[in-house]
Amino acid sequence: MNVRFKSSRKSAPMEEAQDWSACLERVGSHGDREAFSALFAHFAPLLKSFLAAGAGQNSENIEELVQETMVKVWRKAGNYNRSQSNANTWIYTIARNTRIDWIRKQIRQNPNQLHADDIYDSEATVTPHSSLIALRNKRDVSAEIKKLPPAQSEVLALMYFQGHSGQQVSEALNIPLGTVKSRVRLALKRLKIALAENELELEAQEEAHA
Amino acid sequence: MIGRHPDSALLVEYASGSLELAPSIAITTHIQFCDQCRRTVESLQAVGGEMLEEAASVPVSDDLLDNVFAHIDSDSSQEQSLSRVQHEVGKVHSENEVLGELASTVPAYIRKFLPAEPLKWRFLSPSLKTATISVGEDVNELSFLKIKAGGKAPVHTHKGTEITVVLKGCFSDEEDLYQPGDFIVRQAGETHQPIAAQNEECICLSVLSAPIQLTGIKSMLNPFLSFAPS
Repeated sequence: MNVRFKSSRKSAPMEEAQDWSACLERVGSHGDREAFSALFAHFAPLLKSFLAAGAGQNSENIEELVQETMVKVWRKAGNYNRSQSNANTWIYTIARNTRIDWIRKQIRQNPNQLHADDIYDSEATVTPHSSLIALRNKRDVSAEIKKLPPAQSEVLALMYFQGHSGQQVSEALNIPLGTVKSRVRLALKRLKIALAENELELEAQEEAHA
Repeated sequence: MIGRHPDSALLVEYASGSLELAPSIAITTHIQFCDQCRRTVESLQAVGGEMLEEAASVPVSDDLLDNVFAHIDSDSSQEQSLSRVQHEVGKVHSENEVLGELASTVPAYIRKFLPAEPLKWRFLSPSLKTATISVGEDVNELSFLKIKAGGKAPVHTHKGTEITVVLKGCFSDEEDLYQPGDFIVRQAGETHQPIAAQNEECICLSVLSAPIQLTGIKSMLNPFLSFAPS
């Protein structure tokens, strides 16, 4: 699938993100409907294509998913903390979790009513470090992600948009799983996302095998 | 010092939402111990945020915003309190009763997945016992493992992938020594024999994935593990 990078957005992304954070805060603190409408106008159309990509052939009900996600955004806005994540990251995690629960509902595999919100530890304490990271992320990730080589951004797009596992990416692109994993590692390196030590060892091993 | 971490592809699967529930629980458990991987996950979620921002903008129906507001107005206060009540009603036993001997060991995060009844332990060998926690996934088995101080688990071969996260104590095998927070992955066909440290019992969270999709046929034998005859 093609990641379509918009060229129109030349204005400072930092400023824009601050605006959305402020909107979320206004929704969270006093249920500001105007701020919420602005968020909706921007994010609902993005969510529609994002969620549709991962929903496969069941995409005709996609606006229900968009609705569910935006209702959660309203309800959870009080928990939003701009020092922990920027607005698009926070809304992304809500959309991801909504999609996970929805897919599990489709395959009727949820007898104990576990929700993705239970699985991901969203209430984790914010360390001063993680807020620094959040700021740095915003700066680095948005600039670097557009510069990734196509082979790497393709793998990430399949994983994030289509909700593919590494194995599914390997099947979709007809490349070995090891290649998928090494493209992921290379992409994360470029995005300056820290790799664990054993990852570096793995890479060395892989090179030895190649 | 945590020496074993999930690989980056697994963390991306986790952050992008394709990872199944039980292995996702193992990763969230690991990041209760590991700040490094927690930060990596935060960064990977920021990648998701950027991906969302870069998605093609597809117009939504004119009345969708009104529908959202209608939904918010109709049941915003009710639903949240309802789910909390349901959760409480299901619990006849306190968390500590359910956990029994594990009460002081299990990170707060794991407590969300506890069954309503006390954990049922079964011995796999004289020094190794296990208690399964159901998360409603056929393809994975999530359980606690407990090895007695100095105890040896039987030599076993995995039919599918096994993820182990050490919660308390230490164990070693032919390869390494593992400490709380370590995230260890064993592939199908790997044979190993974990041994707990002499001074303390070792408690782990384990996720076993079945090699094939189970189709409702319950085997008398554990479909996830095969033990070598000893």
